[in-house]
Amino acid sequence: MREWSKEVVERLKAKFGDRVDIVERSGRRAYVTVGNDDWIPVTRYMYEEEKGRLCTASGSDRTTGVELLYHFAVDRDGSVVNVRTTLAKPFPRVESLAPYYPAADFIEREIFDFLGVEFVGHPDPRKILSSHDRPADFHPMRRDE
Amino acid sequence: MTTTIPIGPFHPVLEEPEYITLEVDGETVIGANFDLGRVHRGMELLAQEKTYDQDIFLVERICGICSASHSWAASLAIEDIVGCEVPARARYLRTIVHELERLHSHMLWVGLAGHIIGYWTVFMWGWKYREPILDALEAITGNRQHYAWYRPGGVRRDVPDEIWPNVLKIIEEFDRKTDMLTGAILDDPVILGRLRGVGILTKEDAIAYGTLGPTARGSGFDVDIRRDEPYGAYSEVDWDVIVQDGCDCLAVAVVRLLEMKESVKIIRQCIEKLPGGPIDAEVREVPRGEGCGHVEAPRGESFHFIRSNGTNMPERHKMRAPTFNNIPSFRPRIKGETISDALLIFAVIDPCYSCTERLAIVGPSGEKLATSKDLLRLSHEKTEELRKNS
Repeated sequence: MREWSKEVVERLKAKFGDRVDIVERSGRRAYVTVGNDDWIPVTRYMYEEEKGRLCTASGSDRTTGVELLYHFAVDRDGSVVNVRTTLAKPFPRVESLAPYYPAADFIEREIFDFLGVEFVGHPDPRKILSSHDRPADFHPMRRDE
Repeated sequence: MTTTIPIGPFHPVLEEPEYITLEVDGETVIGANFDLGRVHRGMELLAQEKTYDQDIFLVERICGICSASHSWAASLAIEDIVGCEVPARARYLRTIVHELERLHSHMLWVGLAGHIIGYWTVFMWGWKYREPILDALEAITGNRQHYAWYRPGGVRRDVPDEIWPNVLKIIEEFDRKTDMLTGAILDDPVILGRLRGVGILTKEDAIAYGTLGPTARGSGFDVDIRRDEPYGAYSEVDWDVIVQDGCDCLAVAVVRLLEMKESVKIIRQCIEKLPGGPIDAEVREVPRGEGCGHVEAPRGESFHFIRSNGTNMPERHKMRAPTFNNIPSFRPRIKGETISDALLIFAVIDPCYSCTERLAIVGPSGEKLATSKDLLRLSHEKTEELRKNS
């Protein structure tokens, strides 16, 4: 199996400098932590410049806030670059990637549905999986008291 | 003037709970909307309350057809956290079951495509040829579906070498039948008329919508995790990624038909090269950390992300089946097409559903009360009775 070139990680460091915090893992995985303001610049860069493919996104409620983790597969390199940001509770909101990258459409609706994250600028901000009669302010994966 | 046509909440052909609304102008579709979630089972939340070993059984049940893919992807995510090396024999055994799954899934789709366009011969043939593959899977793993074959670090059971000649015989026979079926399908003007030029998904759209598997490869988007991030034994055997530039329903069908040939090649080589040795790296503990695993399921990439907090249960387990990414590509495909092609275009992504029914009447002490011959006789008798009474 060919070596992991880590070119993407180097370019991310060169372009965004201190604004990104990158942890490399041996299994061809990189975890990139960014602030809320750099969220769209970094995720758009991953798609538009690096041709990363958005596999999916994981949202989770952690003690520090609601965490978003977008998994970009870099297929030419055989690696996955995960971009992470943490949104403040109780009303997490962030700009949506869907207007720039349609692949983010469904998964952002799912995160809105289960974790109550408001995606500003999303073209179709509705629930996707839970039933229609669920109360609008109840999000099953939130761990609020 | 536009009219809205609801299809569902049960899919009229696939017997699957999905609700699509088509916006049409006369016969022409101008837009589509989806309403999902009717079989949502809260598995991600449930996975957080199960141990890693139990989780593998849970993710197997996401889908009856892709059960090997999900359990392998979850195992890869756990192995990514642990950082263990899977023994060679386990990698080969995993690959064989994974490719057998691809064979029966693709053949199932070929049959369903025939069913949808009203070509019953293709349906009957396809499903008849698929059956021996399920027998081979049963011989290897003990089950036709839900194989309970993968575990973090390796596979659960070893198999005796005596079964391989029979498995080889089954896939060689399958290979011949696939050749015949492929020739018959690609030579039939009616099938070509229904598939060619219908439901165009451009390469740009395929990339933008993040499509996967045969849906992407039928539109010239060359993505295959087996080659891009080789796992299992894929880097040690000789095979090709099938890509077609047709962008229509026919191209996707051709990708599936030709991929079955490649899968047969992979299985044949894996059986020939199957090494000896241990089958399990014996993972005992999962340390704190995060891991991603993805595999090329029959319908596209299955992706699993697991975060461990050092206990025996995951803190977060994200699972994503390929259909979730492929469904949105229906929108650009359907625009400008007629209503009559809508169901076929929707089925071209092979929307996922699990259905395996089999009857076995078993007595209290475990003995079989009815064999397949008895069931056939019962079936014949019932048909006779129906004829007499009609």
